[in-house]
Amino acid sequence: MKNEKILNFAIRFGFLILLLGLVLYFSLSASGFASPRSAAFILQSVAITGILALGVTCTLVVDGFDLSIGSVATTSLMLSAYAMVILEMSAFSAVMLCLLMGAVVGLINGLLIVKFKVPDLLATLGMMFLLIGLQRIPTQGNSIATGMKLPDGSVAEGAFSQAFLWLGRHRFDLVVERLVPVPVVIFLVTALAIYVFLELTRHGRLMYAIGSNERAAALVGANVNRYKIAAYMISGVTASIGGILLAARLGRGDIASGNNLLLDSVAAALIGFAVLGAARPNAFGTAVGALFVGILLQGLTMMNAPYYTQDFVKGAVLVIALVFTFYLSAKRGAGGKT
Amino acid sequence: MLRRHFIKFAGLAALATGLGSAAFAEMPAPLDKPADVKIALVRYLSTGDFFQSYLSGVEAQAAAIGMDLRVFDSRQDAALQADMVDQAIALGVDGIIIQHGLTESMKDAAQRAVDAGIKVVAFDVDVENEAIPQIEQSDYLLGKLALDQAIADNGTDFTAGYVYVPGIAPLDRRDVAWEEVKQANPGIKEAAVFGTLDNPIANAVANQARSILQANPTINVMFAPFDEFAKGVKIAVDEAGLSQDIKIYSADVSTADISAMREPDSAWVATVATNPAVVGEVSVRTLALLLTGENPGNSVVVPPTLITQDFLNEQDVSNMEELGAKMPQFQHADVAMADWMPLPKR
Repeated sequence: MKNEKILNFAIRFGFLILLLGLVLYFSLSASGFASPRSAAFILQSVAITGILALGVTCTLVVDGFDLSIGSVATTSLMLSAYAMVILEMSAFSAVMLCLLMGAVVGLINGLLIVKFKVPDLLATLGMMFLLIGLQRIPTQGNSIATGMKLPDGSVAEGAFSQAFLWLGRHRFDLVVERLVPVPVVIFLVTALAIYVFLELTRHGRLMYAIGSNERAAALVGANVNRYKIAAYMISGVTASIGGILLAARLGRGDIASGNNLLLDSVAAALIGFAVLGAARPNAFGTAVGALFVGILLQGLTMMNAPYYTQDFVKGAVLVIALVFTFYLSAKRGAGGKT
Repeated sequence: MLRRHFIKFAGLAALATGLGSAAFAEMPAPLDKPADVKIALVRYLSTGDFFQSYLSGVEAQAAAIGMDLRVFDSRQDAALQADMVDQAIALGVDGIIIQHGLTESMKDAAQRAVDAGIKVVAFDVDVENEAIPQIEQSDYLLGKLALDQAIADNGTDFTAGYVYVPGIAPLDRRDVAWEEVKQANPGIKEAAVFGTLDNPIANAVANQARSILQANPTINVMFAPFDEFAKGVKIAVDEAGLSQDIKIYSADVSTADISAMREPDSAWVATVATNPAVVGEVSVRTLALLLTGENPGNSVVVPPTLITQDFLNEQDVSNMEELGAKMPQFQHADVAMADWMPLPKR
């Protein structure tokens, strides 16, 4: 009886306690870790992968998967740079164009999966490659920057507008002056929005229902296809938001595959399964998962740990989180008590 | 419509090559009939500004001579790259440029090409073959010149952060210069070493550099011998509001790097670079020398150039083309040259 209580407690709060322990450990051993600025860095370093992870959470909820988010983000990075530097559009139109691109990619992903019955992993894998290639076609594989030479011999005159750079670089005052960067605010707002949508609205609950039993959900009248497409569109749009913020921070259109963005955000979403013993995709867990990885990496970097330990640690955290989710939750399920 | 344009282009191209061969009729055999000389560029790495620019240099020099260039792109597939050398042999090319790759996979393939009577040059890959000249941009000198500038600006007493990922050949060669300078100057303290090649590199390095700056507030010099690293460090320095207090020294340059260096109060004060397009041109010229029976030597080194923020500001340079115009040594390297050698038009 007592054991069961401890187990339940471990499943519910184990991960959060681990997180707290890490923070304490790094605060004591790495100078400069425990400060408001440091906290802001951590949030900033996870903001972009966190936003992507929230999108992938939505696809996980409907029992799908989106492998294209990393390349949607880098496509949106290139597209925003292309729109401003070469087409000389305003910041607002560039942002709108990117969001639209994300939504369209999500729509195509959704249609491929729902209408053409392509398995989700394969459809989004195809989309990933397609986008990695597509983003390079307009500039023939070059990065985009003001002053670059165009194929027709002229020089690109446009520039990243200040309003756009503000998205990646401005910091709001909070306790300390110029502390909280805009991407962090956008990350937190997105997390809250996705949380409210998934947990508190009828649509979100239906999406969970579709994820656990598609046929049953269809029988009670849910429009399964429409919800699935919606999930991929949310994922596409959040990924394009991530790309916009990345472009605003870098101030140029760098070609990149975005594979690391994909892996990090999927890891965050999977770690999220373990938070509060949810054992299912959830927005709060995803945000905590992203934060967890961010804190670990920040602390390790501050202690001068070499770069390859970071991948190792990310992997270890993920494995532990998955054990939490699957083994302990299964045990709890077998005990018949929740 | 499209067809008409195409015919016009074809006509222009024919005219251009016609003119080219008329102007340089006295090129030695077999380049007296350059259009019959087929060469192949077999690439291992191709994505990114550097490789794009390298390719444009190869294309420009091959066109200037009038040779028929084929490009094989293995996209980081070592086995495929070796197969592509065999394809080029089967195609009956006269010369091959091997661009990057792994010694293990390319050594035998390169030997097969040499055995088939094909002239081969290698850029930035050691194929361990006497008959094959090595073309290099001197990575050691890249690092060395940047550090010399750091010492000129900051004296021999400073605290440095160093961005480095071991196991990447050019970075390892640049690291040799750093180790040497550290040895020679005990006043230089290395407070932290960090670095990552996670994509997008600049963003990942920025995240790391933020933590490093927080943990080591005494750092006043950042040595980031790769422009993606420098970009990341600059973002972190800007975000930490330290752009007045820290100086960044790097290697490589691109149009985007130039604008980053020229931002008001930019911490990125100097970079050392070889123009990748020039390296491409040198690769083709070395091959051309080999084809005509001249000996370009076992190792052809393209010397790097120091580019400072002050120079860019004084000369109001805003992109790579202007940099080439204002800095002739960046536009053209006087290596692998011959009297008869036609150069690409500027």
